[in-house]
Amino acid sequence: MSEENANIEQAENGLLYKYNREMFYHFDREKGYTREIDYQISENQTIIKQSWDAAEQRLEGVRQRIIAGRLSPIAYYMEKALMEVPILAAYMEMSKWRIRWHLTPKGFKNLKPEILEKYASVFGIPVEEMKHPNF
Amino acid sequence: MVKLEFEHRQAGHCESGVTSNLLNYYNYKISEPMAFGIGAGLFFSYLPFMKMQHAPTTSFRVWPGMIFERATKMLGVKTMVHHFKDPKESMTKLNEVLEQGYPVGLQVGTFHLPFFPPEYRMHYNMHNMVVYGHDNGTYFISDTLMEKLVEISYDDLMRVRYAKGTFAPQGRMYYPVYVPKEIDIKPAIISGIRKTAYNMSGVPFPLVGAKGIRYLSRRMRKWEKNLGPEKASYYLGQVLRMEEEVGTAGAGFRFIYGAFLDEASLVLNQDWLKEMSIEMGENANKWREFSYYGSRNCKKRGKPDQSYDFLADMLLECADREEKIFKKLAKIK
Repeated sequence: MSEENANIEQAENGLLYKYNREMFYHFDREKGYTREIDYQISENQTIIKQSWDAAEQRLEGVRQRIIAGRLSPIAYYMEKALMEVPILAAYMEMSKWRIRWHLTPKGFKNLKPEILEKYASVFGIPVEEMKHPNF
Repeated sequence: MVKLEFEHRQAGHCESGVTSNLLNYYNYKISEPMAFGIGAGLFFSYLPFMKMQHAPTTSFRVWPGMIFERATKMLGVKTMVHHFKDPKESMTKLNEVLEQGYPVGLQVGTFHLPFFPPEYRMHYNMHNMVVYGHDNGTYFISDTLMEKLVEISYDDLMRVRYAKGTFAPQGRMYYPVYVPKEIDIKPAIISGIRKTAYNMSGVPFPLVGAKGIRYLSRRMRKWEKNLGPEKASYYLGQVLRMEEEVGTAGAGFRFIYGAFLDEASLVLNQDWLKEMSIEMGENANKWREFSYYGSRNCKKRGKPDQSYDFLADMLLECADREEKIFKKLAKIK
């Protein structure tokens, strides 16, 4: 129990994200409305971290499925860029069904070089890495 | 090379901050809460069928672009809004407008925004910022979320202006062209309050306004049973992220709105609005308490600290308070 308390205390004191301070409003019956510029409080930073943890977990799941031969490397880079099929389809200017086909190993194998290049430029990586992903 | 004398003021919310800063450039002093209130920015909707980052969308504000459009229209400010199909054309037009001496507001996606805090870089297309100059392919940006003024390159700017996904900005740019000398702010305030009161308590649709909060509360009770503890905490986290994350100034804009009511009571000389602002502030504190307990659930995914019923009850209380406040506000004269 004491260990758990210590963990919570540590998380409360140490802030995870200290890149930029934002403006917040506060209300108090005596003081009325006040503004202050500060980092996000640690409770809010926890929920931000939660979403990044979830994204990491999804990425790991996709990686396992690629190794098992059920998905193509495009799925990995799509997940890494936090994209979903509709967003990727919009960036690629293709139909969603075509993207879904490219996510399968079969569809990926017969991909034309120019389409592969377009994928690489959307993800901002070299074409070689698309073919031989290192993860 | 153009660099306008633009005063950078940090703000709680991007769009109302941009509106207030742009008007400030034309020597019309309007605070951020005022711009937010006149633009009728406060809202609530819970859309379980629309998924964002693999969880249902919760929104605490109106559609992007509405606050600027409404606030300027109500104040009699003339504006220009452009959309473009061709990215290059949009950049040429941006340069042209800057050279004429107008600072320009832009709607951008945050995923590729290089100066943005890394923890916020997700596919979120409703961010707003002001460009106030350019020099040889570098653009000078005033972003109300950031502490300092920032810069961005031509290619990056073009990329974020053409981000894809829900609410894609399509190069949307907007700027005031004419600000009248004498502005009567009183009717604008009253109309803004009426609009928000209708949005929050009068819309005959179950997913928006105070009804929407109740609906969310009903759904929340079933999350743990239907989705399992892991996913339930992720769904809860999504609600809290929309409430507290990027530029809401806390508690899903409830604090800003309270500050607006406080200011409005002085301008309109109506004391009962002051009481309303106090009630709003307490309601906002309740929302913050909700997010405090909620975040503890998110931290311990397996065994939640508080039951979802407890959190749902808290939401119900917020819904009751808000309905009461806005039913009263709807009668403003």
